[in-house]
Amino acid sequence: MAARPTPPDRTAPGGRNPRFPGYDVLSQRGTWDAVTAGVVLARTGPQPALRFFTPAEEAVAEPLLDHLLAQWEEPRVPVLRMVDARLAELQTDGWRYTDMPEDPQAWRRSLAGLDVDAAARHQGAHFADLDRPHQAGLLQAVQDLGSDRWHGMPAGHVWNLWTRYACTAFYSHPWAWNEIGFGGPAYPRGYARLGIGVREPWETADQAPRDPVQRDRAPRGPEGDGT
Amino acid sequence: MTAQGGHRPDPGGGGRAASAFQTLRQSARTHRAVRERNASAWLLPNDGTRFDHALIDRMRRYPDGDEVDLVIVGCGAGGATLAQRMARAGWSVVVLEAGPFWDPDTDWVSDEAGSHHLYWTEPRVISGSDPVPLGSNNSGRGVGGSMVHFAGYVPRLHPSDFRVLSDHGVGADWPLDYADLRPSYERIEEELPVAGQYWPWGDPHSYPYPPHPVGGNGEVFLRGAAALGIEARVGPVAITPGRFGNRPHCVYRGFCLQGCKVNAKASPLITHVPDALVHGAEIRADAMATRIETDPHSGLATGVRYVRGGREHVQRARTVAVAGYSIETPRLLLNSADRRFPEGLCNDHDLVGRYLMVQGAPQTAGRFAEEIRMYKAPPPEVTSEAFYETDPSQPYVRGFSVQNISPLPITWAEHVAAQGHWGEDLRAYMRDYVHWATLGALCEFLPYADNRITLADEHDRHGLPVADMAYSMGDNDRQLVKAARTAMEDILKAAGATEVITIERYAHLVGGCRMGRNATEGVVDADLRSFAVPNLLITDGSVLPTQGSANPALTIMALVDRAALRLAEGARSGLRAPVRDTGTV
Repeated sequence: MAARPTPPDRTAPGGRNPRFPGYDVLSQRGTWDAVTAGVVLARTGPQPALRFFTPAEEAVAEPLLDHLLAQWEEPRVPVLRMVDARLAELQTDGWRYTDMPEDPQAWRRSLAGLDVDAAARHQGAHFADLDRPHQAGLLQAVQDLGSDRWHGMPAGHVWNLWTRYACTAFYSHPWAWNEIGFGGPAYPRGYARLGIGVREPWETADQAPRDPVQRDRAPRGPEGDGT
Repeated sequence: MTAQGGHRPDPGGGGRAASAFQTLRQSARTHRAVRERNASAWLLPNDGTRFDHALIDRMRRYPDGDEVDLVIVGCGAGGATLAQRMARAGWSVVVLEAGPFWDPDTDWVSDEAGSHHLYWTEPRVISGSDPVPLGSNNSGRGVGGSMVHFAGYVPRLHPSDFRVLSDHGVGADWPLDYADLRPSYERIEEELPVAGQYWPWGDPHSYPYPPHPVGGNGEVFLRGAAALGIEARVGPVAITPGRFGNRPHCVYRGFCLQGCKVNAKASPLITHVPDALVHGAEIRADAMATRIETDPHSGLATGVRYVRGGREHVQRARTVAVAGYSIETPRLLLNSADRRFPEGLCNDHDLVGRYLMVQGAPQTAGRFAEEIRMYKAPPPEVTSEAFYETDPSQPYVRGFSVQNISPLPITWAEHVAAQGHWGEDLRAYMRDYVHWATLGALCEFLPYADNRITLADEHDRHGLPVADMAYSMGDNDRQLVKAARTAMEDILKAAGATEVITIERYAHLVGGCRMGRNATEGVVDADLRSFAVPNLLITDGSVLPTQGSANPALTIMALVDRAALRLAEGARSGLRAPVRDTGTV
């Protein structure tokens, strides 16, 4: 990617908001009800220290989550801590596939699995020691297994577990909303401009309405940016 | 009266003039008649807050030792409707609800991740060849049940839904007809109340309120359907346009699925609970039912054992109704096994837990050059039932409906991630969010005996075995999903979509304790009374023998409205065991 002339945007993940430059949903927080504002703003404040992941697991989980969400630059949505908090507090959906352990156990096993894969394919290395393309290669290999088993679990269910937790954390954060142009909470004010091609006065138009399908497609994976 | 037939470009209902007259007459009606039978909307506060705490403070409270007329397990669509009806009929009623007594002002937020507590997240196991993830779109918790976070779509079943077995040799027939349910549909539609255009499908009918304005997503649907000559209509949704009692107009904030903070979208918390409370019902929140108590000599139910605040209680009652929905109701019956019912209460014929159904709910999104901003306006807006009935030219029977749905960012990320996108690819797709519109189908999956709830080896924190839900799709089901996907892709492309992406998912839950004409066919009869224990009713979605392509909430409430009327007519005045009907209704 070419050098970016604009100064970093402190309210967008990675400091860039190419589609909705300058848009900050938090500027509307005065119009939100207090309970909602409390819940949303808490995500922008300090996050609890890690309680669930062991240091060895943290070393795998952090790059795994960075890859899944392509978070390579500051400011980052603190996805690792948000996932850790959910697992520590057992804030799961309750259900589990009959061929999967409970979510916390599935996380531990899958993180250990990535380290085992790294050692097997890269001369005893830890996952965290590998460079970004090699880490991505190991993740792609898990995704490519589909419904085949991987370290005793169906790979598809593991992939689903990872992306579910990663996306729930990332896209609950107002910085991520800025990046996608989402209007955010709207109670009690509501939305007044309904319909195709209309916006609330405080919403920002898409400045680079580029169809993700039409662009030159890089190979699927995390390496489009930040290299 | 009833209209049949599959995909028709313009079904037109019962004639243009008659439709117009019916619509006008219904929308001109005053609220008085509704208020006289259910004053809930007028019992809500009128000062900008959303629930009157005095209703709870002044609530009648029964000691466990009192034998009340009726104890109900679960305060969702079925339980709350029954409580309101029976309290109105003069019965003493206690409702045991496992979750909390919600206050929309303080307990609900306009936020996806912050609404996790609205779902039933106790441990469960899912199995089968097509395991169905649970949680957000098929479970509820707390007073109001899953309707607290349902989308608000409230279509009726079609007359053909009641005789799928007779017509097609698959599925089941109901022990009642559409006509038996029609008056109940009409009553509930007035009480929710429902907004929508004149409905030309099934049994054509009008709605009490005019349709809502549509947002970008709904516009896309209408545009695409019009281009293809497919009839689509706005509604039917249980969301107030204008004012209903002290419930204000919808503000189109788009967070219907996170609990309506406005009080515009219906849930039993605001449509039936307030009226139940002022008529003497007690709603005992945070009370987890663990067992239905029965008397071995009389064979009757005597009450419900439950845990509240860490202590075990038994609420005695002359009649027991279970309304825990399709997983917890069978689980409670199975966990209530005794010497008379070694395989689980009411399970003499191995029917408890079986014939569980979900609807296939593929979700197709289309990319548009314009900004759609699908997060605005209620996600339920536009529906087509043009594909609802069996189309003889297709290899499958029964059909599907199409509705627009509007995923918020986290749900949208799941949709995108399910395509296999991750990393920068995922982020790029997500940044394009405002350009996408989404449709969802509801496919009528057929009931199969092996799709069922059983007890797993695992136990919950109460020490009770958790539910294992096994689900496998049949061939007809798969064909429906495929057809629905094609239809949605066609509609979106006709509206101008440059790319379409689909995820396969499921929605809703019904069945598990189905109704039948006799004890070998169903767990309960058409009046929702169990065949095995005369004073035990099951009043929730688990009784549905088939499901059509309609969202189930309205039908659950209508079935309970009907059952409550019959219970009140026949079973008061000291009769512990309601008189059984002979034959079908």
